Amino acid sequence: MESKITQEALSPKPSIWKEFLSKEDWWAVWLGLGIVFVAYVFYLAGSSISWIAVAPAKWSTFSDLAEQLSKNGIKYLALLVAFLGLFTLVISYIGQKKKDFIKSFVFIFILSAIIYIIGSWDQANKYNLEPPLLALALGLFISNVIGLPKWLDAGFRVEFYIKLGIVLLGATLPFTLIIWGGPIAILQASIVSIVTFLTIFFTARKLGLDKRLAAVLGTGGAVCGVSASIAVAGAVRAKKEDPPIAISLVVFWAIIIIFALPFVARLLNLPTGIAGAWIGTSEFADAAGLAAAQSYGGLAGGHLGISGTADQALASYTLIKVIGRDIWIGIWSFVLALISVTIWERTETNSKVQLGQIWWRFPKFVIGFLVASILTTLIVHGNSLQDYNTIVKPALITPITSLRTWAFTFSFLSIGLTTRFKELAGAGLKPFIAFTVGVIVNLILGYFLSVTVFGDYWSNIITN
Amino acid sequence: MNKILEHIQFTQNAAGSQCKQCNHFENDPDIIEKTFKGLTTLSSGYASVRAGDGLCNLLNRYLSSKDSCANFSPLNLNSQIKSR
Repeated sequence: MESKITQEALSPKPSIWKEFLSKEDWWAVWLGLGIVFVAYVFYLAGSSISWIAVAPAKWSTFSDLAEQLSKNGIKYLALLVAFLGLFTLVISYIGQKKKDFIKSFVFIFILSAIIYIIGSWDQANKYNLEPPLLALALGLFISNVIGLPKWLDAGFRVEFYIKLGIVLLGATLPFTLIIWGGPIAILQASIVSIVTFLTIFFTARKLGLDKRLAAVLGTGGAVCGVSASIAVAGAVRAKKEDPPIAISLVVFWAIIIIFALPFVARLLNLPTGIAGAWIGTSEFADAAGLAAAQSYGGLAGGHLGISGTADQALASYTLIKVIGRDIWIGIWSFVLALISVTIWERTETNSKVQLGQIWWRFPKFVIGFLVASILTTLIVHGNSLQDYNTIVKPALITPITSLRTWAFTFSFLSIGLTTRFKELAGAGLKPFIAFTVGVIVNLILGYFLSVTVFGDYWSNIITN
Repeated sequence: MNKILEHIQFTQNAAGSQCKQCNHFENDPDIIEKTFKGLTTLSSGYASVRAGDGLCNLLNRYLSSKDSCANFSPLNLNSQIKSR
């Protein structure tokens, strides 16, 4: 123990392995790509991982469901053991309590299975039982009304699950889509991010708030929610009280928007690709946005007459959010740190801004997302459409999609279970006003760009 | 332009003077998650974007572990080991 602390504290450059093994982002990459690799090996051997990547099929009566569960019960158990083994490995490497995690994850898995099963009921859409929203609502109810012991928090790793899901999502998206759609996503997201940031920043300044708090709030609303706020808080040396204010406001609005955007998109009868783009532009955090996008995508082709596919909602959302917004967080941090040094007053710490933070703060899971997309694009390349639909998709893509849905469900449920409104810091009226003005501008501009300017592109986005 | 470039540091601060080696600095992800209530709802103390940022208990700031300042106080390893 002594040697480890000595080594860590005295070394100016931590071991590269420590970085790879101590961050959830890298673990999402290792696990996600590992799953893709194993799936490919099975596929090459003429088999598939579909046995363990179990998912409930559509059911209409309880006897259907009972038959399904009795047939697949052992598969669900095997899946639980596999997830538990892999995730416990991650938890032990990043330094959390394994014992608490194991109990908590079993709880999460059982609830997720129930949600997944309810979502597979053939009448679920009719009663608005979209699994992402159901997971979130159930989590919110349990954490805010019933209450849970604190030690259960060990398994509610929203970010880890969502990052793993996004890497697996990469494996189901063609890389050509990222190449062609990336620039449009970056253009749309950049316009909205810059306008939203400036709106929140200058409103906050006008209301007399500190520049650093204004910057932390601005990036929270404009870039990628809590993650952006916390990254920029470190870059501009924010006051200790600033990040909790931004966290409270982002969580508050993110939860509202998860439910509101799919609802409004439904009223406007938006195609799934367009709604996904709007959610990607206007929702703050990856997990929150994915819950909204997946929920809306699930309505496609149903009795509501919403055009497009579920994959289109996820693809357009991910392009805008991950490629258009998330990957620029290091640049935002660097630029704001530079502004804080050259323009704002700063006397407490040294006056240099380190260029290396563009990489330190880069959300590394994006690398896994891109590599997974490249890998499956290469694997699928050369197959005819018929071969893809009859051989490649059921043996390789569908099981990965199923595991992705599990990871997303763990995350959506964890959002609800970790959102305890009573525990959130009071934001104060002025930060609330500044952030809310930014939210309104973001939503209007996001709608205009997604529907009016780039609507044709997003509604026709090709996902396979 | 030159003035801006003067403020950019292309290399890290010298070993022994970075905040991560300072007595006033705390960046354990678990402690950060407990300090910033709600952080785990839509982010994480173990996320890459957080890098090694942590709390300076002297200045009451949240800053980079690679930062440095005139109040640097070398980490007392013995007390750290005891407290852990």
